[in-house]
Amino acid sequence: MNSKRIFLWDLPTRLFHWSLVLSVTAALISGQVGGNFIEWHGKIGLFIIGLIVFRLVWGVLGSTYARFAQFFPTPTKVKAYLRGEWHGVGHNPLGAFSVFGLLGLLSFQMISGLFGNDDITFYGPLFDLVSKDLSNKLTSLHHLASNLIYLLIALHIGAIAFYAHVKKDNLVKPMITGWKESKDGESAKGGGLVALLLAIGIAGAAVYAASGAWLPPPPPPPPATETPNW
Amino acid sequence: MKIKAILALVAITLAGSAAAQVKPEEAIKFRQSGYGFMAWNMARIKMNVEGTYNKEEVIKAATAIQAIANSGMGALYLPGTDKGTGWEKTRAKPEIWTEKEKLGKAAMAFNKEANEMAKVAAAGDAAATKEQLGKLGGTCKGCHDDFKIKD
Repeated sequence: MNSKRIFLWDLPTRLFHWSLVLSVTAALISGQVGGNFIEWHGKIGLFIIGLIVFRLVWGVLGSTYARFAQFFPTPTKVKAYLRGEWHGVGHNPLGAFSVFGLLGLLSFQMISGLFGNDDITFYGPLFDLVSKDLSNKLTSLHHLASNLIYLLIALHIGAIAFYAHVKKDNLVKPMITGWKESKDGESAKGGGLVALLLAIGIAGAAVYAASGAWLPPPPPPPPATETPNW
Repeated sequence: MKIKAILALVAITLAGSAAAQVKPEEAIKFRQSGYGFMAWNMARIKMNVEGTYNKEEVIKAATAIQAIANSGMGALYLPGTDKGTGWEKTRAKPEIWTEKEKLGKAAMAFNKEANEMAKVAAAGDAAATKEQLGKLGGTCKGCHDDFKIKD
């Protein structure tokens, strides 16, 4: 066993991961509780949009193991993994399904939430762009999909527990420190400051677009004197 | 005493039959009208707590919600009206007729907060109104989650 240490997860990837953990938890709770928390639910959603878009860009511009192309689950890789012949580093081919599944599902939640409404006082920031009927349908799907999020989170944590106890591989530590003991693989490269700033910039633009701040303001109300007193 | 009792009985019978005379599609329309009208008033209160606060506007809106909350809308959920069309297809779930105790609790919670909303509105404090609007909205959700079809 000539074990060595490699640099696996770059800092932006780790910060993304743990921010996502916290904000998805907060979104799930605030959505369930409702009432005064529904406004927070909307704000947290916008923040998650920033995180997701950042991660999508970072999946192209980030360092080695953050890149989608590095861990994309091709049939060859999946077969090799299932036969126990995969010796890569980073997201394994099944874990990659989980990554893409979560990113896809959360993206769907973001989009459906932006156009949604709760038939009480909450309207998604882009509600005005669609009909009430469509908004209701998207809201319904938003609720259904939230159950899938619980399922994927359970799978995700279950897999981590399985790796820790059965395969004796601690996946959590590298996601905190960035470093992993491994006899295979090279340390991550790439994903410099320019890439980071670009990813943050694009994420910021996405949050602005999603916030609906660019939508024309509603026409000013007619003068008060025209409101009848009945 | 006897006469009073008989009169009361007659009154109850009349009231009962009066409620029963509402046709199913009318009952659904009245329900939908009630919720739709409350939606307008909820939005008015929200606009006031987010923009400039107009005490009179909020009182009008809160009073309307309180009146509808206390109007006994439960009488409009006639047997069999989990299906049917009023202004639009009803979104009432069959659970309304099977989980009466749970529904009753949710409805009473809404009544309580609607009455409180009217009190808070009368006091005219914007921050308190905002807080109470959230509480009131939370009780709407109490029914929407379990008793309203979403799409």
